[in-house]
Amino acid sequence: MTSIRVRLLLSLLAMLALAAALIGAVTYRNVLGETEALFDYQLRQMALTLRDQGEIAPDQVSTLADEQLDFVVQIWTVDGRSMYASRRHPELPARALLGFANVTAGSQLWRTFSVATRDKVIQVAQPVEIRERLAASAAWRSVAPLLAIAPLMALGIWWLAARALTPLQRVAAGVRQRDEQSLTPLPTGGLPDEVAPLVQALNALLQRLGASLDTQRAFVADAAHELRSPLTALKLQLQLLRRAPDDAARAGALDALAAGIDRAARLVEQLLTLARSEPGAAPALLEPVDLGELVREALVDSHTMAQALGSRLALDAAPGALIDGERPALGALARNLVDNALRYSPPGARVDVRVWREGDGVLLRVDDAGPGIPPAERARVFDRFYRRSNGGGDGSGLGLAIVRSVAERHRAELALDDAPGGGLRVTVRFKAAESGPTAAAPAPTPAEPAVAIAAQRGAAH
Amino acid sequence: MRLLLVEDDRMIGESLRSALRLEGHAVDWVRDAGAADATLSSERFDLVLLDLGLPPGAGPASTTPLQDGLDVLRALRARRDATPVIVLTARDARGDKVAGLDAGADDYLVKPFELDELNARIRAVLRRHSGRAESTLTFGGVVLDPATRQVTRDGEPVLLSAREFAVLEALLARPGALLSRAQLEDRLYGWGEEIESNAVSVYIHQLRKKLGADFIRNVRGVGYFVGTGGPPTADSA
Repeated sequence: MTSIRVRLLLSLLAMLALAAALIGAVTYRNVLGETEALFDYQLRQMALTLRDQGEIAPDQVSTLADEQLDFVVQIWTVDGRSMYASRRHPELPARALLGFANVTAGSQLWRTFSVATRDKVIQVAQPVEIRERLAASAAWRSVAPLLAIAPLMALGIWWLAARALTPLQRVAAGVRQRDEQSLTPLPTGGLPDEVAPLVQALNALLQRLGASLDTQRAFVADAAHELRSPLTALKLQLQLLRRAPDDAARAGALDALAAGIDRAARLVEQLLTLARSEPGAAPALLEPVDLGELVREALVDSHTMAQALGSRLALDAAPGALIDGERPALGALARNLVDNALRYSPPGARVDVRVWREGDGVLLRVDDAGPGIPPAERARVFDRFYRRSNGGGDGSGLGLAIVRSVAERHRAELALDDAPGGGLRVTVRFKAAESGPTAAAPAPTPAEPAVAIAAQRGAAH
Repeated sequence: MRLLLVEDDRMIGESLRSALRLEGHAVDWVRDAGAADATLSSERFDLVLLDLGLPPGAGPASTTPLQDGLDVLRALRARRDATPVIVLTARDARGDKVAGLDAGADDYLVKPFELDELNARIRAVLRRHSGRAESTLTFGGVVLDPATRQVTRDGEPVLLSAREFAVLEALLARPGALLSRAQLEDRLYGWGEEIESNAVSVYIHQLRKKLGADFIRNVRGVGYFVGTGGPPTADSA
């Protein structure tokens, strides 16, 4: 029973039945009261007239004669012999209680009025059933019109409900037409107030879906486009290898091919990392993470690259820099920041990484010795596949996009500045974990950690 | 032939440069739109291989930075420079191809591509550009086939080194036209390649030995040409 129409219809019919019953009952009661008063009066009048004048008054003759009303007049002598009976009603007792009385005679209840004179007893009687029948028929007459219009009202309700629900069907048809290709908002014009909020909510959902789909599509398109470059390089490198005229050329081509494969693998890896940290990816599994420790592990991964470049990685991590975060995503963030810093710094340069607590925040800062990024370009470097025009190397163009995506996922603030040494300074400000030892531990000097564990790695000179 | 390669991707650029050198071309390589525009404004190339997705950069003549390869191409054609251009790009939508060709590209090749196809298209574009219908260069019984890189003299194969082949190809492209030593060096060496002194003279000498002493003629102090009759006027190109 889920149809609004059917429910409305049944409710209406139930209410009609209830109303009819109520009206009928009230009418019956009222009419019964009136007829009782009226007929009691007539019983009494007839009896008194007979006593005083010895005959029925002319205006009462017809009433008495009316078999429908079934008045019975009996007269007895004082010693109980029947002197007169207007109609034979053998079941009526031959004796009478004076005044009004209800007498059961046979299967019937009678209303009687009796008076006594010196020599006779006069009784006028009427079956109570007559009065009830009259009241019942009056009640029926008052209810009948209601019952007569009930089917009409049912039809009306059926039609009205159908009309009222048309907008819903229109909305349903509209929603059916939508698919992942067309997420245009549903029209809201002419909708009843009750349906409009539903459609507005649907439209908001469609819009969010559309935005999410657009993001995904753009991502896939970008990814497909960007995969072309490493694949083109691989293809060329392979063809060069096949054409190599001598061993030296062959060895060179092999090295190039290996580098090309590394690069393609790294791009795919970065794409996966980005896809995992994009909005709409699986929800975050937050755990308490010591950012200093995590960065230390990330530096171990970057060590090889630093060594190859002869660059130095310096870590200054204050203890207890706890945040709530996703360990793998944060690792990717740290690795990408450090790799970027190494990649854009000249070989042999020093990259400074610092992790510390400040107020209710935990900060991660990476200073490199590269060319820096002019302020005008800073907003764009976080875009996917954005590569700086003077930037060398084979960066995937995804590093900073991953950093931004992970930062957004952790509601961290990301800032680019000039490093004191002239390079780029990237600062990520996380919210410190709410629980854990650091919340209770006092911060002696918030700006500069009093105790710092300095770890220097990769000093390959 | 002297080619300009405009490609921002280091690996693709290096591989293409190596591959094109194997074909005997002198290859110069720039990596952004501004450098491409600057180079094309100041130097002459037989053909340009142009990537469309380039980092932007300001050219010498333009006030606004050139945004991508299409801008480079438009600027080139706006200078009424007819240097043939083959677009090499990952943009494969039909609209991109139409835009590229309409902006003045002579051909369009979508990455990733086969080197064989690229080489064939380079030969075809050069052939069309020089106004020839046949795929071989012929003069005085010498036939040079750029596709197979074979040279015959009166039907007999002649073995040439890559650089000898490049010199002969340049001379045969326009018989009678005079090419200076510097112009020939341009065809042989890209930027950064060590130019051996008197290399051109050496290659000319080798070619004369293989093709006949008077096949290549010279105008003393000016340059070389293949052809009969007196010295032609210097080629302004």
